Amino acid sequence: MSHLLPFMLCLAGFAGLAFAMDRQQRNVIGRPLKAAATYVLRVVGACVLLCALGLLVTWNGWGLALVIFSGHTSLAAGLVYCGLLAYVKMDAR
Amino acid sequence: MMHSVADEDEPRLTGRGIRQSMSQLHTWAGLLLGWILYAMFLTGTVSYFKDELSQWMRPELAYQAQVPDQAAVAQRIADEFSRSIPGSSQWSMKLPDARNNSVYAFWRTGPRTPGSRGGFGEGYFDPATGQKVTARDTLGGDFFYRFHFQFHYMPVVWARWLAGAAAMFMLVAIISGVITHKKIFIDFFTFRWGKGQRSWLDAHNALSVFGLPFHFMITYTGLVTLMALYMPWGERVAFQTAAERQQYAAELSAFIAPGRPAGVGAPLASIEDMVRQAQDRWGRDNAGRVTAVNPGDATARVAVTRGDAGRISMSPQSMEFEGPSGRLLRVRESVGAAAETRGVLYGLHLGRFSDIVTRWLYFLVSFMGTAMVGTGLVMWTVKRRQKLPNPDHPHVGFRAVERLNVAGIAGLSIAMAAFLWANRLLPQSLAGRADWEIHVFFIAWALTLAHAFVRRPKAAWVEQLWAAAAMLALLPVLNAATTSRPLWHSLTQGDWVFVAVDLMCGALAVIHATLAIRTARRQPARKAARKPSSSPAAATASRQEGT
Amino acid sequence: MNVMVDWGRVGRLLLRILAALCGGYVLAALASVAALALPISKPQAVLTGMLASFGVYAGAVIWVFAVRTAGRAWAGLLAAAAPLALVAWMVRP
Repeated sequence: MSHLLPFMLCLAGFAGLAFAMDRQQRNVIGRPLKAAATYVLRVVGACVLLCALGLLVTWNGWGLALVIFSGHTSLAAGLVYCGLLAYVKMDAR
Repeated sequence: MMHSVADEDEPRLTGRGIRQSMSQLHTWAGLLLGWILYAMFLTGTVSYFKDELSQWMRPELAYQAQVPDQAAVAQRIADEFSRSIPGSSQWSMKLPDARNNSVYAFWRTGPRTPGSRGGFGEGYFDPATGQKVTARDTLGGDFFYRFHFQFHYMPVVWARWLAGAAAMFMLVAIISGVITHKKIFIDFFTFRWGKGQRSWLDAHNALSVFGLPFHFMITYTGLVTLMALYMPWGERVAFQTAAERQQYAAELSAFIAPGRPAGVGAPLASIEDMVRQAQDRWGRDNAGRVTAVNPGDATARVAVTRGDAGRISMSPQSMEFEGPSGRLLRVRESVGAAAETRGVLYGLHLGRFSDIVTRWLYFLVSFMGTAMVGTGLVMWTVKRRQKLPNPDHPHVGFRAVERLNVAGIAGLSIAMAAFLWANRLLPQSLAGRADWEIHVFFIAWALTLAHAFVRRPKAAWVEQLWAAAAMLALLPVLNAATTSRPLWHSLTQGDWVFVAVDLMCGALAVIHATLAIRTARRQPARKAARKPSSSPAAATASRQEGT
Repeated sequence: MNVMVDWGRVGRLLLRILAALCGGYVLAALASVAALALPISKPQAVLTGMLASFGVYAGAVIWVFAVRTAGRAWAGLLAAAAPLALVAWMVRP
């Protein structure tokens, strides 16, 4: 539990940040979103990531939390990336 | 090698100059020692599970469902030492923990005499009986761990210097890579399929950027672990007396310098009690190591050092006891700020503080780093091939890099799998069995190098990737055939170490097979570029096909 | 293949490589000794110097290849090394 929730938050956060990018919006829904929606996605995505960090700090203290957060964000970013890759590839078929 | 048109002294044009110079620096810093870096990264990655791998490589030792009482184990083994090595001036044992089902110990075989180093002994002991284990002679996962920073077949100091040089090259490659990557945030989630060199670059970038905090940390902290070797100058200038040097050493390790023995025999007090005090202080399974100097003498001292859990730093924390009486002399729990910083950096590199999930994170991100180096090496050949004046007869430098890539990347997988095959197949009675497992590793690797030079590059890649996939996939089968711990047995018994290793072999086999299939499908992009006069449609079609 | 080698360019490159590999190391070593001048106990100063030395080395290498000329590369290293060497000389016991 103490790893799962922060990790899911990191996934959600990066998904939000990814979707706040023009290129990914075009990839997924075919057109860019309104500027306001993009802005909200970016802010929410960042906040969700910070939430994950906050939880880890509360549970583990700053030292361990930073290390674990670094691991979760690297992995989550990679997974969101792979997800986007798979989506684009499948869409292209 | 510098950009072809401008003279070296031409003024930079709006920052393009530094990106270009950093790009070239990045390429050469990465390429010159790239195969060594790849090997260091892969063996380092695997080393995060070296203790588990060691368990798998000693199937004679039963699975440890629960950590035994460390205090009782320590007493058992101390008793064994007083029986079997009574004249020893020093011994040290690593207590069993969640990841280790045996006790590793080393000792001096006799008294310290001035001018002579004396003999050293080492061995693995059964926590339940205190006796030396009867398991196959193997270095286990520690072979990959040691290879990671001191390779093999060469003097340890030279090897560590080489590893340090590689780490410095890596550090420069990382920094120059970040400087040259202009659109590091814009590009963050970008990937372009089927664009040959561009796709490789995107993959390399993704692996590098997503794991950037780890890659930078692991490289810098790697240098820190051996910094006393690489930068001894401050130490040499600052400390003149032995006392000063000892005071400095105390900031780095819990080692007690043995004093001159009194020559008066006195049995050690209860080691069990000493370890219990350590358990009270640090946790039930968190007494790490017990070291005794001048055991059996009136001047004996025993130090119990803290285990790995609960803090990142590896700065020394220990309880020092008077040997014959068992009286607690002092507790060392803090060091100076710089020493604690060094302890944290050291701890970050080794990752021994990790719980199981964090350990998997280390493993996975480190794997990303390994792939980062690998994609970089391959990308160089893909990029260079397009610039070759005559692609059918590339110059010898390019050919060498291409072949070394195959052996350095796919070949290493084969060698590592061969090491595990040797562990299962070499006869137990073979003299120097542990060394022979290692010889098999290098023989296999050498064979892949020969293969890479005989075959055409693409064929070499595909064949070696398939060979690695096959060897990895068959490891669980080999395990089932040669031991009494097949996968189904481990599953029902809850032996997660054996399950994990068997399944990991399967997963890695799938990865290698996937790479083999994709490589086999790949059409060389240069075929399209070679025929500019043929119909543009055909050229475009073959380029799109060439994923 | 162009067999006309521009020895001037090769020479300048070699100067830079020398500056990076050797000059960088010497600079880092000097910095690690100069750290003894810090107002902290000797063991901590020694460790601080060691820990920072790799950053100095890497920074020197980046500098050497970032600047416009090989001459400037060496000049920068020497300019940084001179005060460090002075301090290192003064802290020797």
